[in-house]
Amino acid sequence: MKTFLKTPRRRASSVAALLVVVGLVATAVVASTASGSRRDTITLRVGLFGDFGYHDLYTKYEATHPNIDIKEDIESYADHHANLAKHLAVGSGADDIESVEVGFIAQFKSQPNLFVNLKKLGAGSLQNQWLSWKWQQSIAPNGAQIGLGTDVGSLAICYRKDLFAKAGLPTSRAAVSKLWPTWQQYMAVGKRFEQRAPKNVHFFDSGSNVFNAIIGQLNPAYYDSHGKVIVGSNPKVKSAWNVTMQGVQAKESAGLAAFSNDWNTGYKKGTFATVTCPAWMMGYIQGQAPKTKGKWDIAAVPGGGGNWGGSFLTVPKQGAHTKEAYDLAKFLTSPASEAYIFKQTGNLPSQPKLLKSRAVLGFKNPFFSNAPVGQIFGSSAMKLKKQILGPHQGDIQTAVSNAIQRVEQHKQSPGASWKQFLKDVKSVA
Amino acid sequence: MATVAEHARLRGRRRPLSRKLGAAGPLTYVFLIVVAAASAFPLYWSLVVASHDNAAVAAYPPVLTPGNQLWHNLHRLFDSGEVNVDFWTALGNSAIVAFVVTASVVFFSALAGFAFAKLRFRGQKFLFVTVIATMLVPVQLGVIPLYIEMIHLGWTNHLMAVIAPNLASAFGVFLMRQYIAGSVPNELIDAATVDGCYTFGVFRHVIWPAVRPVAAVLGLLTFMTTWNDFFWPLVVLSPRNPTVQVAVSTLASGYVQDYALVLTGTFVSILPLLAVFLVLGRHIIGGIMRGAVKG
Amino acid sequence: MSEQTAVEAPVRGRSRRLLRSRLHRLDSRAAPYLYVSPFFVLFGAFGLFPLGYTAWVALTDRTLLDPSWSFVGLANFTALIHDSYFWNAVENTLGIFLISTIPQLAFALFLAYVLNTKLRARTFFRMFVLLPQVTSLVAVALIFTQLFSHDYGLVNYVLGLFGIPAVNWEAGRLSSWIALSVMVTWRWAGYNALIYLAAMQGIPDELYEAAAIDGAKPWKQFRHVTVPLLRPTIIFTVIVSTIGGLQLFTEPYLFEPLKQGATGGSARQYQTVVMYLYEKAFAGTQFDFGYAAAIGWALFLLIAVISLVNYLIVRRIRSAEA
Repeated sequence: MKTFLKTPRRRASSVAALLVVVGLVATAVVASTASGSRRDTITLRVGLFGDFGYHDLYTKYEATHPNIDIKEDIESYADHHANLAKHLAVGSGADDIESVEVGFIAQFKSQPNLFVNLKKLGAGSLQNQWLSWKWQQSIAPNGAQIGLGTDVGSLAICYRKDLFAKAGLPTSRAAVSKLWPTWQQYMAVGKRFEQRAPKNVHFFDSGSNVFNAIIGQLNPAYYDSHGKVIVGSNPKVKSAWNVTMQGVQAKESAGLAAFSNDWNTGYKKGTFATVTCPAWMMGYIQGQAPKTKGKWDIAAVPGGGGNWGGSFLTVPKQGAHTKEAYDLAKFLTSPASEAYIFKQTGNLPSQPKLLKSRAVLGFKNPFFSNAPVGQIFGSSAMKLKKQILGPHQGDIQTAVSNAIQRVEQHKQSPGASWKQFLKDVKSVA
Repeated sequence: MATVAEHARLRGRRRPLSRKLGAAGPLTYVFLIVVAAASAFPLYWSLVVASHDNAAVAAYPPVLTPGNQLWHNLHRLFDSGEVNVDFWTALGNSAIVAFVVTASVVFFSALAGFAFAKLRFRGQKFLFVTVIATMLVPVQLGVIPLYIEMIHLGWTNHLMAVIAPNLASAFGVFLMRQYIAGSVPNELIDAATVDGCYTFGVFRHVIWPAVRPVAAVLGLLTFMTTWNDFFWPLVVLSPRNPTVQVAVSTLASGYVQDYALVLTGTFVSILPLLAVFLVLGRHIIGGIMRGAVKG
Repeated sequence: MSEQTAVEAPVRGRSRRLLRSRLHRLDSRAAPYLYVSPFFVLFGAFGLFPLGYTAWVALTDRTLLDPSWSFVGLANFTALIHDSYFWNAVENTLGIFLISTIPQLAFALFLAYVLNTKLRARTFFRMFVLLPQVTSLVAVALIFTQLFSHDYGLVNYVLGLFGIPAVNWEAGRLSSWIALSVMVTWRWAGYNALIYLAAMQGIPDELYEAAAIDGAKPWKQFRHVTVPLLRPTIIFTVIVSTIGGLQLFTEPYLFEPLKQGATGGSARQYQTVVMYLYEKAFAGTQFDFGYAAAIGWALFLLIAVISLVNYLIVRRIRSAEA
């Protein structure tokens, strides 16, 4: 057995194994603690929850700023905001620029110390670029400016002309707009549609999209001006619920969860005839169902103008290059950039000068049968006012989507689901 | 090591034909082929979806044969400009984590197993029972405090957060102790000691060479478990610096869901283990069956 | 070391020997502790400490966002007992566990029985049976979610061929449980079958011969010889499946159409306990660590009870063997 002990090869290999262990641990420690690159180029990461249409702009910016390298991170709406909150709280992991949707801006405004006050970097002089309510929405209680506005989501209805024709409804956008001055009438049209619609085609995609649009027209909606949650006591929220339920119970809803894979497929297959269309939805439809080009048109939204969605770009303080990040955010929200994005994706600028410009007002979208989308969305955006938002806006929205789906999936009656929704609201807000 | 299973296998060769079902009939083979097909089908299906464009997902009737878009989808997956995750980083991270954890678990398990099996010390029995007891404790239930701990250590969003808690394994210590106790003769150790070896010398020259077979099995199982781990990495890592499992799930929760892309990522994430399995599968099977008899 | 052949002066040799014997004594005393310490240090730091600390965090109203927190006593636990969502999650977890484990283990037993016959290509079949185990939970969840999707899933297509209308698997309570159980079963049945197979091979042939002489047909032999002798192994797999099943997370988490919120469907029809913990701690905007810790602690108690049962059973097996 001594020879066994003396075999040098064995010995060498066990030593080698040990070295491998040590080496790997060391590598891991180095790999996990080494921070970024030490080269001269600065990498800026931009965290988004959808395609903002920035790709060409990055290329452009990198061309004029050779020391800047831009990387984009995209997550789902809920994941993005939950992870942002997490990364801010633990002090690491956030991107240099983080987008925040309007539903979450109130929540992040309550922690202004975690964001760079953009006024200190000179954002104050840019104030007049934006709609004043959009500018104010990202001002924290302590006066810090934590975000620059990207788009606004003024509302319209996108509809499928071909499906309307099959159901014997008018197809021109003026005539369609006249069908539904109110949401009640919209649901009534839906009833007519269902009677003659092709098999397996419904009037609208999902109850929660209708509901969110109606909420976007209310002020106050979920919160009153003192920051109190009034979901249960605001009669207008309840009537928004009722009219949505009216449509759902008349089987007008395809019952597809918004942004789910089935919903995406629904666009391709044409399983619903209308969808509430904030300006940013146009780009989404084009991306999902490019082959439906020309089948869509855009009509006015029932119940007057409203806003659903729209975002801000913020600069978390934990970033290593906050000055450079601010410069990039400024560029991405500049009038030239926002005008470019509008033409690419349909995301509507949040800047009055642009909204009144010929570039926007004169723009017709070929995908939507050459609808004058600039005029439709631009003019209604000018009339928008600031909506009161609260810190748990996003949670309430998630809860109500679930509540509506419970009815759509025949799991609860509207009454029981509403009750559970109020209970959910109480536990989150 | 002469495990019960191996005894059984040896004995099995001498079994009289009359025992149990005897030779398998054609029905048995049909049944087993169906089971094998069912086992493989979901993996095959992920390849089918991954090799078409996303529109094929909604095709009617469904497409059942691989298409020619696999290369295109792989390109989209790894060309980080188009998708929301950096897949190269994810694969690299998973490789680092899995290798470090595997090496550490195998080494520390062998070392501790050696001490428990062949050395004498006070509290030995108690400590070994403690090791066994910890196997019953679902450690991940302490996820909240562990997360708080990681914040204090500054390891959130770093690979250290997924490496450190997995560096030792009670199962590994247990497996190694049983193996060493059963398969390394004391005379071998005594001989080395008489030659003047310190305990670590004994470990290096006697134990380590002897445990290689079981080290390979433990290593494979640990590698698989670590590569496939999801809950803790999801909690503690950000999608900017993910392991491959987190990356695939991020892919699936993208703003625009593209199943062709998601299942391409899924397929790529399975591939390394699949390759290992095809080469070393029979060892893994042996390890599981051996562990089953012992445990 | 051993190969060293030192020829040295006797005096120096003696002092060296003394030193060496001292070192050896130190080595044999201290080394064992040194060798087992990595496990205990690591387990203490990342296993035991967090578990104990959970109990403390559960007594506070700590959140991730607010660094200031206060002691709230048992308030989290009182709230938990009255939290219908928690009990709903417990019910879902147990429900999914039952309909995934029982058919799965029965099937695994049968599969092991078949694999234990004289087979050609034995290794080939064993490899295939174990293939699902290599597949990660994430992959299983994503592939099956696609197969079970409502409008364009393969499962509904096949059902359609038999004239069965499409099932919205994700939306229903029982249907979602079934879909999740299929995922669990697919991944684990083969693994358990191999464990049973190993145990079956340990059963002495004489028992079967005796049964055969008594005129027992194969099915009777299976019921009266194989199953009783496999009982310890069966109990073992039941317990391992229970501990795993109670912590079910990945499959239901990724089964959600939007993969967000971790609510387990619009009516929480398939939210498991770990998902509920995740929802409270990490998925929303609240990051309610105190409450989530209480959920973790409750689940730990649930598992602890089962571990106790485990211990009692292990004792029984030993006495049976003796």
